[in-house]
Amino acid sequence: MKIIACYKLIPEEQDITVNSDGTLNLNKTDAKISQFDLNAIEAACALKQQNSDIHIVAMSSGGEALANPKGRKDVLSRGPDELIVVSEPGLENALPHQTAAILAAAAQKSGFDLILCGDGSADLYAQQVGLLLGEALGVSAINGVSRIISLSDTQIQVERTLEDEVETLTLNLPAVVAVSTDINAPQIPSMKAILGAAKKPVQAWQSADLGLGDVSGYTTLLSVLAPQQKARARVIIEGDGEEQIAEFAEHLRKVIG
Amino acid sequence: MSKFSTVWVFSDAASRLPELMGAARQLGEDVRVIVQGNEQSAQAFRLGADAAYDLGSIPADRIIEDYADTLVQTIKNHAPNALVLLPATRRCKALAARLGARLTAGVVNDANELVLQDGHIVATHMVYGGLAFGKEQITTPYAVTTLNSGVFEVAQEDSARTGSATSLEFVAPKNPIICVSRKVKQSNSVDLGKARLVVSVGRGIGNQANISIAEALSNAMGAELGCSRPVAENEKWMDRERYVGISGIMIKPELYLALGISGQIQHMVGANGAQIIMAINKDKNAPIFQYADYGLVGDLMKIVPALTEALKR
Ligand SMILES: Cc1cc2nc3c(=O)[nH]c(=O)nc-3n(C[C@H](O)[C@H](O)[C@H](O)COP(=O)(O)OP(=O)(O)OC[C@H]3O[C@@H](n4cnc5c(N)ncnc54)[C@H](O)[C@@H]3O)c2cc1C
Repeated sequence: MKIIACYKLIPEEQDITVNSDGTLNLNKTDAKISQFDLNAIEAACALKQQNSDIHIVAMSSGGEALANPKGRKDVLSRGPDELIVVSEPGLENALPHQTAAILAAAAQKSGFDLILCGDGSADLYAQQVGLLLGEALGVSAINGVSRIISLSDTQIQVERTLEDEVETLTLNLPAVVAVSTDINAPQIPSMKAILGAAKKPVQAWQSADLGLGDVSGYTTLLSVLAPQQKARARVIIEGDGEEQIAEFAEHLRKVIG
Repeated sequence: MSKFSTVWVFSDAASRLPELMGAARQLGEDVRVIVQGNEQSAQAFRLGADAAYDLGSIPADRIIEDYADTLVQTIKNHAPNALVLLPATRRCKALAARLGARLTAGVVNDANELVLQDGHIVATHMVYGGLAFGKEQITTPYAVTTLNSGVFEVAQEDSARTGSATSLEFVAPKNPIICVSRKVKQSNSVDLGKARLVVSVGRGIGNQANISIAEALSNAMGAELGCSRPVAENEKWMDRERYVGISGIMIKPELYLALGISGQIQHMVGANGAQIIMAINKDKNAPIFQYADYGLVGDLMKIVPALTEALKR
C-alpha cells in the first residue's frame, strides 16, 4: 500500500518581525515543516509500524526552499521512504486551490492508496488543501481526524472530533484524510534516522512535468498586516513580597468590582 | 452593486443561524436558507429568509458534508453567481471546500470581517498564528466563506414573518462517507466564551496537583478556569475545551488573569479581546507583560495562595 503524506514548508514564526507599517518581515526566517503536517507524517509512520507493506511518500509543493538538502533530509528523517517535491519560484505563494491542483497531479503521477494531510498550515491556515485535493482527485476526503481506527486494502475507518461530538467514519480507498493535532505527538528523529535520510530517493518535479498549464487562483491575497496592538496600561510590579502582592491584589479587586 | 444579488445560508449549528442571517441580510438582496426540518425553516423565515429549502431529516449513517451535490444543484439552478455563508465549524469547513470545488468558487475560512468591494467579497482572516490578518478577495462568480462568531449583528426574529420551505431531493455523492457512530462529547460543560472573569493556567504551574491553587483563586474571584495549549494538549492536566488561543477558544472576558503563561502570540490572540489583562510570571522578560495592564513579576506558587487569602479578606 502506498501512503502519501503531504507537507508544506513555512517560515519559522519565531523569526517573523513586524515592520512599522504593519507588514511582516519574512527575510530572516528559516523554512520549517508546518506543525500540523508533522502530525500527518507521524500518522503515516504509525500505520507503517502496524503494516510493513506500507510505502510512505512525503510530498510537497512550494518554492525554491524545497531544493534545500537539509530540509529534504529533515522530512525524510521523520520516517517517509521517499520524497517527491514539486518546486519552482513563486509556488511558495500559491493559494489553496492552486496547491491542491498541483498536489493532485503529482499524486496521480506517483500513484497512491491513501493521502494524509494536516488540517491546515501554520502560516495561512486556510484549512482546505486536503479537502480540495480529494475533490481534484475525485476521491473521498475528510478533515478533523483525531484517530485512525483501522486501515484495510479497501477502507479506512477514522474518528473525527467536531466541536461537540465525535464521529466514527468509514471511507473507501483511495481517500484523503486531514488530521488534527490531537492525533499524535510527532517524535524527534533519532541520529540514526537523520543519517539514514540522506540515502532515501528524492524526485524533484516542476509543474511542466505534470502537464499542468497555468493554474490560476480563485482568490487574491490583497494584504497581510499585523493588527494594531490594543493599548495596555502595562503597570508591572516587580517582586513577590507581601507589599507587592497587596498592591497587585488591590488592582485585581478594582477590576473584579 | 452594493449587495450580492443572492446569499445562501446554511448552518449545522442552530445557535449560529441568527448571526449568519444578520450577515446575509447585510450583504445580500435575496437571502436563501438551507434548513433541516420545519422548526428551522420557521426560524429562518422569522429571521428574514426570502426562501428556505429543506434537507429533511438526515439518516444516522449520513454526514451533512455528503449533501454538497444537493446544495450545489440548488444553488446553480437559481443563479450563476452567489455568496454562500456558513459558520466556521469543522463540519462547515469541510462542506465549504466541497462546495468551492464543485462551484469553481474561491473559499475563505474563519472570516473575521466580510465586505463587498467592487462586486467581490473581501474576507479577512488570521494568518501566521495570529501575528497578522490576511485580506483575501474572492474573484470567482460564486464565493464561499465560513464566518467566525461575533462578527455581525444577529438578525432579530419577526414573529409575523412566515413561509414554507421547498423540499430538496438528496443527490447521492459519488463517494459517500459512512457514519458508523456518533457520540456527544462529555466534557463540553464549560463555556469559557461566556465567562466574565477568566483565570488561566500555563505550563508555569509546574504540575497537575498545583492546579488546585489556581482553582482556589478562581473560586474566590468567581471566575472560570482556562489554560494554555500545552497544559491541555501536551500535559493533559486540563480539558482541551479550556485552552485559549488561535487553535483553541477565543474569548472576550472583562478580566483575563494569566498565571505562568509566557504569552506567545498564538495564545494571546485568544485572550487579547479581554478588557483587562493581568499576569503573574517569574520572568520579567516574558512576552505576556507586553500585553498586560497589570503584571506581577514573581513566583506564582507564593503569589497565588497569598492573593486568594487577600481576596477573602
Ligand atoms: C500553529 C500553532 C498554534 C498554536 N496554538 C496555540 C493556542 O491556541 N493556544 C496556546 O496557548 N498555545 C498555542 N500554541 C503554542 C504557543 O506557541 C506556546 O507554545 C504556548 O502558548 C506556551 O504555553 P505556556 O505559556 O503555558 O508555556 P511556556 O511557554 O512553557 O511558558 C511557561 C511560563 O511560565 C513561567 N513560569 C514558570 N514557572 C513559574 C513560576 N513558578 N511562577 C511564575 N511563572 C512561572 C515561565 O517564566 C514561562 O514564561 C500554538 C503554537 C503553534 C505553532
